[in-house]
Amino acid sequence: MRRPDPKIVRWGILIALLVAWELVPRMGLLPELFLPRLSKTLTVLWIDLDKYWAALLVTLYEVVLAMVIACGLGIVAGATIGGIAVLRDLLLPVFSSLYAVPIVILYPIFTAWFGIGSQSKVMFAGIYGFFPVMLSTAAGIRTIDPQFLLAARSMGATVTQQITKVIIPASLPTVFGGLRLGGALAIIGVIVAEMLTASAGIGYLVTLNRTILDSPRVFAGILCILVLSVAYDIIARRLERRMVVWQSAGRRQQQASPRPIAQGAPAPAAA
Amino acid sequence: MQYVADMKGAQTAGAAIDIDRVSHVYAGPEGGVQALSDVSMKVGAGRFIVIVGPSGCGKTSLLMMMAGLRDHTEGRIHVHGAPIPKPDPERVGVIFQEASLFPWLTTFDNIEFPLSLRGMSREERRRRSEPMLSLVGLSGFGERYPHELSGGMKQRVSIARGLVQDPPVLLMDEPFAALDEQTRMTMGHELLRIWSTTNKTVVFITHSLTEAVYLADEVYVMSPRPGRMIDHIMVDLPRPRTYEMMATDTFGRLRDRIWQQIRKSH
Ligand SMILES: Nc1ncnc2c1ncn2[C@@H]1O[C@H](COP(=O)(O)OP(=O)(O)OP(=O)(O)O)[C@@H](O)[C@H]1O
Ligand SMILES: [Mg+2]
Repeated sequence: MRRPDPKIVRWGILIALLVAWELVPRMGLLPELFLPRLSKTLTVLWIDLDKYWAALLVTLYEVVLAMVIACGLGIVAGATIGGIAVLRDLLLPVFSSLYAVPIVILYPIFTAWFGIGSQSKVMFAGIYGFFPVMLSTAAGIRTIDPQFLLAARSMGATVTQQITKVIIPASLPTVFGGLRLGGALAIIGVIVAEMLTASAGIGYLVTLNRTILDSPRVFAGILCILVLSVAYDIIARRLERRMVVWQSAGRRQQQASPRPIAQGAPAPAAA
Repeated sequence: MQYVADMKGAQTAGAAIDIDRVSHVYAGPEGGVQALSDVSMKVGAGRFIVIVGPSGCGKTSLLMMMAGLRDHTEGRIHVHGAPIPKPDPERVGVIFQEASLFPWLTTFDNIEFPLSLRGMSREERRRRSEPMLSLVGLSGFGERYPHELSGGMKQRVSIARGLVQDPPVLLMDEPFAALDEQTRMTMGHELLRIWSTTNKTVVFITHSLTEAVYLADEVYVMSPRPGRMIDHIMVDLPRPRTYEMMATDTFGRLRDRIWQQIRKSH
């Protein structure tokens, strides 16, 4: 049997969910307080568009800054720790354990230090997203095939050239995996922080409307967050695919049915 | 090339590779591991040399030293009249067992890698890599990535990369070990064709005695660790070599002699 096109499946699921969102409350299967119908949600979103748009911009601003911190610090720290054996043995276990700690418990401290404005969200989400970036960068550098470096050295590569022409491209796929996860965590971090203590942002709007039991406006906020995360995921995937052509191509080929690539020695082509 | 003159000189005056009483101990607990013991060999320019020996006897170590990739504790190694304290791609090209091509580069970019290290312009690089690609029979595959090539094709690219800087000496560490037997035979034959057009000095490590006799002008046999040279066999089969020669008595006798030497040394 032929497998259905994953693209069609994806869209099918999305449309089914949206239809269910409209029909389930309409048919009274769930009270509208728990799940307001889609049309109502969209209507309030339309009415309050200015408000939601302003909140989304605040959130976006915080997310972008948090991502910069997470990726920047994560790559630098990961490269340092992954590249230097002593640091790796000392620090990597510590960071791996820290990664497992729910850092949300530290958020009150962040608000005490940085106030309830954007700064505390950015710092918190930045550190939240930092860990996967740092760990995967360290892993990417650690797991480079030493044969690559030996070959590069035999061709006369200097230390700088070994870094720029071998270590960086070789670790890119692993690093990118961490960047994608780190970016996602940065979004989660900002939203969660906004929901806990804030005066602006989409997360704040959700919490605010929840306390006054305005379900359609809560769900309008959730919809914005969904769109934001999905958009991020699509962009990140695109970027990743473009940056590591060789890797994704290799993966695609393994998945596809065996394509008859040229086997053994081709007839020597006289050029 | 500047080394062509040297090579001609070397044929009469000295050797392309001159290894003089080299020993090596890998540092480690309990005095370390002695990998090589008093190894000497002289390789004439343009010769095809094969080294055989049991696993762990130090063949790779010796090759690394000739490439300037590893130090040795005692003795002297000269390549074209000078020591080789660090890799010098204009003197020595190395081809490894695993093709060790960079998976993020196309065939062209892989072959041109050593040239790009020296900051050569794109046009100049392409001008140099194109003939190499056709020399190894892969014209038209320049834009492919390694994962799109078969094992034999990857090893051809690897050979092209070793040749692109036109070093007078080519070192090959079991380059065809990962290939199936048929591909391996064709590759050996191809290598001889390429070698005969380029005039390189080749040092080739293998575990296959048939491959050794088929390819070599001279075969060196090493003892188990610590590696010493225990035999030096001249292969006086005519060139170009043909597959039919493998069935001849001379071929059998040479292969047998190598085998006896390796067996005796255990
Ligand atoms: N970097 C190293 N540090 C310590 N010991 C080493 C190192 N490299 C090789 N050795 C040791 O030196 C000896 C020779 O190794 P080498 O790789 O040169 O052997 P080889 O003849 O190439 O073996 P094979 O045929 O299996 O490839 C081995 O006993 C090996 O354990
Ligand atoms: Mg070896």
